[in-house]
Amino acid sequence: MSVEQTATMAPRVYGVAAEFQSPAELLEAVRKLRQRGYQRLDALTPFPVHGLDEALGLRRSPLGWAALAAGLTGASGALLLQWWTGAVAYPLVVGGKPYFAWQPSVPVTFELAVLLASFAAVLGMLALNGLPRFYHPASNHKRYPRVSDDGFLLIVENDGPAFDAARAAEALRAVGGQHVEVLED
Amino acid sequence: MSTVATSVESLVLPSEVWARGRNRLAALALAGWVASLPGFFADPGRFAQSYLVAYLFWLTLPLGALFFLMVQHLSGAVWSVSSRRIVEAVSGVLPVAAVLYLPVALSLHRLYEWTHAEIVAADPVLRGKQVYLNPHFFLVRAAFCLVVWSLLSLVLRGWSVAQDRTGEASSRKAVVWSAAGLPLTILTVTVAAFDWVMSLEPHWYSTVFGVYLYAGGAAAAVAAVILLLLTLRRSGWLTGQVHVEHYHDYGKWLFGLIVFWAYIAFSQYMLIWYANLPEETQWFRTRTQGGWTVWALALAAGHFFVPFFALISRAAKRSLPWLGAVSVWVLLAHYLDLYWQVMPAFHREAPAWHWLDAATLVAVGASLGLAFWRQLKDVPLAPVADPRFSRSVEFHNV
Repeated sequence: MSVEQTATMAPRVYGVAAEFQSPAELLEAVRKLRQRGYQRLDALTPFPVHGLDEALGLRRSPLGWAALAAGLTGASGALLLQWWTGAVAYPLVVGGKPYFAWQPSVPVTFELAVLLASFAAVLGMLALNGLPRFYHPASNHKRYPRVSDDGFLLIVENDGPAFDAARAAEALRAVGGQHVEVLED
Repeated sequence: MSTVATSVESLVLPSEVWARGRNRLAALALAGWVASLPGFFADPGRFAQSYLVAYLFWLTLPLGALFFLMVQHLSGAVWSVSSRRIVEAVSGVLPVAAVLYLPVALSLHRLYEWTHAEIVAADPVLRGKQVYLNPHFFLVRAAFCLVVWSLLSLVLRGWSVAQDRTGEASSRKAVVWSAAGLPLTILTVTVAAFDWVMSLEPHWYSTVFGVYLYAGGAAAAVAAVILLLLTLRRSGWLTGQVHVEHYHDYGKWLFGLIVFWAYIAFSQYMLIWYANLPEETQWFRTRTQGGWTVWALALAAGHFFVPFFALISRAAKRSLPWLGAVSVWVLLAHYLDLYWQVMPAFHREAPAWHWLDAATLVAVGASLGLAFWRQLKDVPLAPVADPRFSRSVEFHNV
């Protein structure tokens, strides 16, 4: 896409955001908006708010399964490596021990399982939450800097052609939101 | 939370409820001792062995609870405050447990071969260890350990119960005693593990043995606290003060201690396997051969693999029936562990089950159960005067 084309396109509406004063107000607003049918919500808060995940209807992250799969891969890979190098490729007697025994193989197996599981957890986390990113539409909100201090931002995201920004803004005001702004991509 | 009763009166067991519990435990203790006594006269050697296993099994629970309690005080944990009184009642049985050491102290000659002068005289290794392994010094060390544990449990519970009346806001006294008591407890448990268990085979040594014993004891103690809380909950006690969020954290502790036990147990095993020194390997040779092979495999599966996978998911730790079942399992595995540490010293070929194993287990267990129950008489089941109490009740996992 050329620069001229981008410049002439109308900016897409990302969603509508409003600020709330406290975790309690935020939670109440989330519950009311979901009752009204707004399902695609996102909240930006300065600290983890108890009960927010449930209120937003977030499912449990699949990250644990990725870590488990990677951990099992690491464990079986480490066992295979130690068995193949010790008993097949370089069968040397060291200290009167068997070519391959499970006892001394456990530490390496454990370490490689933890290593790969950690990689999967960190990289999977980044893949799932889309970080790091240099731009997010919420940063256009003029109260955005407050969410790292004492502000609670709630975004009703654009969920398709039926999305009506004016009605979403009205809904946010109705549940007590202040500084309601339409966010553009 | 509006359902939480924070008045002191509503959290004290009514005297008729308390008396009913006491009568049951007293009957059980009486039955246990009556069943054990004929065994003591018929076969004093076997009685000593069975009693030692039973005693160690029950003793490590209050010791583990004492460890847990001091860690909570030192870390300033809030979540555990609402269930702290139950932990204090478990560790509070230590003075009674100290008295119950007497049958072991009177059976040294039947348990420990280093108490036999003619064996020591003929054995250069045991002669070398005589400075440490002799009955007098042994009993002095045992008394010191038992007094230290009893004192710490009395002081910590006494401070907490006094707080109910005085409403003292500062927990400084408990923190100071825990700071002094935690290292002292770990050292004295190591002494007890070396003396009471390791010296059953006096040629063998493993420096990590005290940690090994205590890791299993701490895991079993958390399992016991979970089961006691669940039992009280079934009768409608502490239902609002100790809820799923607290059980979830106890589940995390149980999981962590299971893994820690496995880490220590395996480290001990692998280092001895790798060094391959005869005086070290014989302990494991006895315990992994013949009839003990199955036992050793059952221990690895029962004390690590099964509870590890049974507790790894969040949902498992938050399901109270499941957590209770795993706690029962961990207590059984703890018994397997102690039996496997002690009994092969006397029965080298295969496990030899004896009815005294069960009788002494009931006798010691019900006696300490009675001591536990005594701690819950006339005191609220939760430290309601602790300033952190309401925050503890409202605790929520992120």
